[in-house]
Amino acid sequence: MASETGESIRPGRTYIPWDDLPVKRETVAGVGTILPVVVLYLLIAVLPIAFAFWASLHHIHTLNPEWQWAGLANYREVLNISTFWGSLWRGIIYMVGSTLLQLAVGLWMALVLNRITRGQKLLTAVVFTAYLIPTIIVSLVAMRVFDPAGGVFQMMGAEWFGLWGGREAPLGSRDWAMRLLILIGTWKFAVFVTIFTLAQLRAIPDRFYEAAKVCGANRWQMFRDITLPRLMGIVLVVVLLRSVFMFNKFDIIWQLTEGGPGNATTTLPVLAYKTVYTDQAYGLANAISVVMFLFLLASAIVYFKIFNPSEEVETTT
Amino acid sequence: MSQSEPPGGIFGLSYDGEMRVTEALKLVSTAIIVIVGAWPIYWMTQLAFTQYGTVESSVTVFPTPDIFTFDNFTVLTQPEMYTYMFNTVVVAIGTIVTVVLVSLLAGYGLARLEFPQKENFARILLIGYLFSPIVIGIPLYQIWQNIGLLGTRTGLIIALSAISMPFAVWLMWKYIMTIPAAHEEAAWVDGASRWRGFRDVVVPQCRPAIIAAALFAFALAWNDFTFAQILLPQTDTTTFAPGILRAMGQAQFLPDAYLMAISLAMTLPPLLFAYFMQSYLLKGFQVRAL
Repeated sequence: MASETGESIRPGRTYIPWDDLPVKRETVAGVGTILPVVVLYLLIAVLPIAFAFWASLHHIHTLNPEWQWAGLANYREVLNISTFWGSLWRGIIYMVGSTLLQLAVGLWMALVLNRITRGQKLLTAVVFTAYLIPTIIVSLVAMRVFDPAGGVFQMMGAEWFGLWGGREAPLGSRDWAMRLLILIGTWKFAVFVTIFTLAQLRAIPDRFYEAAKVCGANRWQMFRDITLPRLMGIVLVVVLLRSVFMFNKFDIIWQLTEGGPGNATTTLPVLAYKTVYTDQAYGLANAISVVMFLFLLASAIVYFKIFNPSEEVETTT
Repeated sequence: MSQSEPPGGIFGLSYDGEMRVTEALKLVSTAIIVIVGAWPIYWMTQLAFTQYGTVESSVTVFPTPDIFTFDNFTVLTQPEMYTYMFNTVVVAIGTIVTVVLVSLLAGYGLARLEFPQKENFARILLIGYLFSPIVIGIPLYQIWQNIGLLGTRTGLIIALSAISMPFAVWLMWKYIMTIPAAHEEAAWVDGASRWRGFRDVVVPQCRPAIIAAALFAFALAWNDFTFAQILLPQTDTTTFAPGILRAMGQAQFLPDAYLMAISLAMTLPPLLFAYFMQSYLLKGFQVRAL
């Protein structure tokens, strides 16, 4: 609509014969606007993935630039090392556990924050801060409060509930390390769910509820028929994003446990990192990366096939 | 909430009963959120103001006058810590600026201009979410080394911008779609160019989306550990998260009270952002399709 009228109104500085060219002016402008994104994307996503794939076909010592062609040997090795399947399984546990807990906590916090009347702004700010502060700080505070020397949570767990021994470090315990990682991660990342759902809740006009009230609906019916359908689209997207992010999570696990004790919290990203820097096997690590990516891609496609979040979202736009 | 004919409640409760139950649930929930949400921040704060000798030996709940101190904050002026924090601020600002500029432009193009494969482009962008920072970081180490970006803040800014990009572009695209095109057309009729229409009409109206995208980029950059750990191997250009972890590994003596003082300094900017920007932030995220 712009191009027909735009030409006559706007004086061009340099004359370009758009009418004689095989491309339309609008196409050039449109492609121009996304060009920076394309460049960044090629540089940071396409190139590294291609590089990783190419590297995964070689034997490479991390500190040595000699590349030896290996074909698919790295992939055979990946699928044969026992730590791979264990790490995949632990990664799935971490992903599913964290996502479900974060979804429940995040939704609940959003519903409460949307309803409270006094101190709403302050409490919302405090909750949001959890998502905005550096992960390392969450880790530092967590290590501090679970430290056997003067850690308040360690003391509560040991003395009040008898969950672990008085001198035991729960983050170094096979039983507790994974559970605590999920809990600590939830404290930080559930807020992601809260931000999105709270934004959606704010967007529901009050007249919907007033109309429902006039029709004699009770609170549960209002929630089921007004709130939930409005949240559904965003929840499906958020679940997808959170699952992917949690499966890919490296920082908080590395900071809190470095994958230990033993391999109790080693998920695939941690395994890949260890393979590069501890085992010095750069090619093998890249093979793990590629397998991880393929696994996520396959899972995402299945998720889209089952729930089709984009269609859900599009119909509610 | 006066209502002449109260509707029937849940589980056969009267309307008043239902009100009281939800009020009670709300109160309990709020209390839990206050405790769980604010508690770690409170704990960090009180440890930051407590003499570290006390922190090491016993559990303190409140820094009473005899153990209260500001000394822990002197750690912030140590050259190492100062460098880490300075680098983090530079990287965060660089990432925010890049992300906002690029996503505004691309969002405008996607929303207002017709060009082939537009929708597919946006879909492919989303696949970017599937790349783990580890999956990208490990090859990126070699690539950055070859083109000389390894160990530079610019290299980290590019990496972080690209990671927040897909999300920011979608947000901006969907947000600009909610702005009536007639606003720009009116400007064109008055003789404005497309660029001026974009700058003077669209951009000012995008403020909530800009703030939402900026906050998302800020959270990513301020949070980042993985990329910085891999891409900034030298200490002098490193950011806060890997820097502090390395400092803890090297220095035998980095008391918890100091760590908490540093943590508090790194928590205040996000807290202020969250307090003053939240209404914009929530408005920016109100676009229904992502």
